[in-house]
Amino acid sequence: MTEIFDTIIIGGGVTGFSAAMYAGRLKLNTLVISAIRGGTIILTNDIANWPGIKQTDGITLAKQIEEHALEYPEVKVKDAKVVKVVKTKEIYEVQIEDGEKFQSKTIIFATGTEWKKLNVPGEKEYTGNGVHYCALCDGYAYKGKTIAVIGGADSAAKEAVLLTQWASKVYIIYRGTKIRPEPVNMTRVENKIKEGKMEIVHNTNVVEIKGDGKRVTHAMLDKPYKGSKEFKIDGLFVEIGHIPQSQLAISLGVNVNKKGDIIIDRGATTNVPGIYAAGDVVDTKFKQAITGSAEGVLAAYSVYEYVRNEKL
Amino acid sequence: MAEHTVIVYSTDWCPWCTKAKDWLTKNNVKFEVHDPEKNPQYGEELATKSKQTGIPVIDIDGHIIIGYDEASMKKYLEIK
Ligand SMILES: Cc1cc2nc3c(=O)[nH]c(=O)nc-3n(C[C@H](O)[C@H](O)[C@H](O)COP(=O)(O)OP(=O)(O)OC[C@H]3O[C@@H](n4cnc5c(N)ncnc54)[C@H](O)[C@@H]3O)c2cc1C
Repeated sequence: MTEIFDTIIIGGGVTGFSAAMYAGRLKLNTLVISAIRGGTIILTNDIANWPGIKQTDGITLAKQIEEHALEYPEVKVKDAKVVKVVKTKEIYEVQIEDGEKFQSKTIIFATGTEWKKLNVPGEKEYTGNGVHYCALCDGYAYKGKTIAVIGGADSAAKEAVLLTQWASKVYIIYRGTKIRPEPVNMTRVENKIKEGKMEIVHNTNVVEIKGDGKRVTHAMLDKPYKGSKEFKIDGLFVEIGHIPQSQLAISLGVNVNKKGDIIIDRGATTNVPGIYAAGDVVDTKFKQAITGSAEGVLAAYSVYEYVRNEKL
Repeated sequence: MAEHTVIVYSTDWCPWCTKAKDWLTKNNVKFEVHDPEKNPQYGEELATKSKQTGIPVIDIDGHIIIGYDEASMKKYLEIK
């Protein structure tokens, strides 16, 4: 007979494995299905907001949470991408790319987000040759060069500061009037500006990326900067936010907000019985590893109550 | 498992490179690391092979994989 899990957690980032850790503690028969273990947090080498650990990097934190979850024999992992979730009677059926199916009483969506692209001419053509999405990966190639980070959130500021260790000058190009990093990262940005290593170009959008056929040479701006719309640059790092991966949840009738974030209550419960969600994919304002982790734990506890009540 | 010649273009910093190296190690695949940050010659090699500068780039018997891509690594390493 096919095994029926108490819960299937879709997503193996910090949220998914935090939920799994608690589900294991609650002795819930749990399967984590994850396309890429670790998720978004691995993109940063500087985490200083995880209580109890003053400083760590994303890969280490993600691995520690995963290892903690896998301490519980109730928790299993399948490395695969989920392509379909359907409800058959009271059971959810989860299908992965190769067609294999798994059954569960409940689902926790911890699917996080994907990169938002700029969607301007030249972006695709020059990806890897001047257009990048991971500062830690590709920053090394810009020693002594001039680059720009596009975006104004905390992650954009962090990337910009990181990139100053290679680049001679880093611009932050932001469509709004004031970038909005956390105060600690704002101070770092201000220090880099004082050192002459950074400059912010406000109220400006990149509308096209141009190159010589091999590499990026210019970004075209929607308004002149120092008299010209043609902005000479060696590389651009895009950090303009993320798109919630909520399509599978939507297909089950789960409510989302205008941005596509899954709407949850304080127990990480959605409007559909047996479906829970947590982390970057949900409709919370402040999205960090610690908040996703906490929501994941709440989701696991809600699953526990749901499964227990069902047995009564 | 057949022997393969595997080169990973990666730096100490890059998280997807670490994931790729961890994945190869977990699957008992021997590989050589060419760090383009430490040795510019490897940077040129990487650009010639992959026509771009982003990392990781994984060369498996001449098949070039750009980025962390388990499915392609499995395919060229003939791992089920
Ligand atoms: C540059 C940068 C720096 C940051 N710095 C910090 C920091 O210092 N401190 C901090 O707390 N936060 C930081 N953050 C935010 C933090 O990374 C996120 O809040 C957190 O990683 C979200 O985790 P998550 O598990 O909810 O989602 P994700 O990490 O996005 O994980 C989603 C998971 O779901 C999987 N998945 C998605 N769809 C499917 C599917 N169909 N089938 C199977 N699996 C699927 C993915 O493979 C992945 O495993 C930073 C973010 C960025 C971009």
